[in-house]
Amino acid sequence: MAKKAKSRVIIVRLLSMAMTGYFYTFTRPRVARPMSLLKYDPIVRRRVLFLESKKKFTGGR
Amino acid sequence: MASISQKHIQLALSLPPRLRTFFARYPAATILPEGTAPESAKTPYQEEAPNPFLSTKHPVTGRWHDPKYSLRRQAELVKLARTHGVEELLPFTTKGTEERIRKRVELGLRVKGTGVGEKVKGHKHERHLVAKMEKRRKAMLDMPDLIREWKKVGKRNWTRWPK
Repeated sequence: MAKKAKSRVIIVRLLSMAMTGYFYTFTRPRVARPMSLLKYDPIVRRRVLFLESKKKFTGGR
Repeated sequence: MASISQKHIQLALSLPPRLRTFFARYPAATILPEGTAPESAKTPYQEEAPNPFLSTKHPVTGRWHDPKYSLRRQAELVKLARTHGVEELLPFTTKGTEERIRKRVELGLRVKGTGVGEKVKGHKHERHLVAKMEKRRKAMLDMPDLIREWKKVGKRNWTRWPK
């Protein structure tokens, strides 16, 4: 039996570079480049840089 | 002489069975009949454990054995003996009134962890709070530079992803 095909779209976690542990989750095409964007971090209450972190989803599947 | 010991026996019989059993097993040297050497008159219980309220080190294996009476039972016996006025016949115990008073005098009403050289362990998040905030502060100080660099490099060419 053939292996299940990998999905075209993946879920990624964008981690706050303010080291607060705050993150956003997005979906992006698997073949696209890793995501990075300026977004609001409510813990430091400022717009900071969010970078895609390595896929290690321990919480919430 | 005989009348005194009779009186003692009467007194002993008036004690609750629990105390009576204890004193039968571990009689204090002061209540032994006169003329008996304290060493030879030891009960088998006393030979096993001279003070059943203290933990003992096994002479052969060197391992510590728990007291014959737990701290809870020690406290119960002390309370019982105190109400019947025979507390001084009990072996030494940390639950005894004198020892308790001595401790209270020594330590007072202090709160544990507030003394010199003592500290409260606290929760893990409390212990790590300072380091966490410092890391966050440093990251926020570097943030303008990081954003400027990221804008210059461009998101297509960015390579420094977090681990």
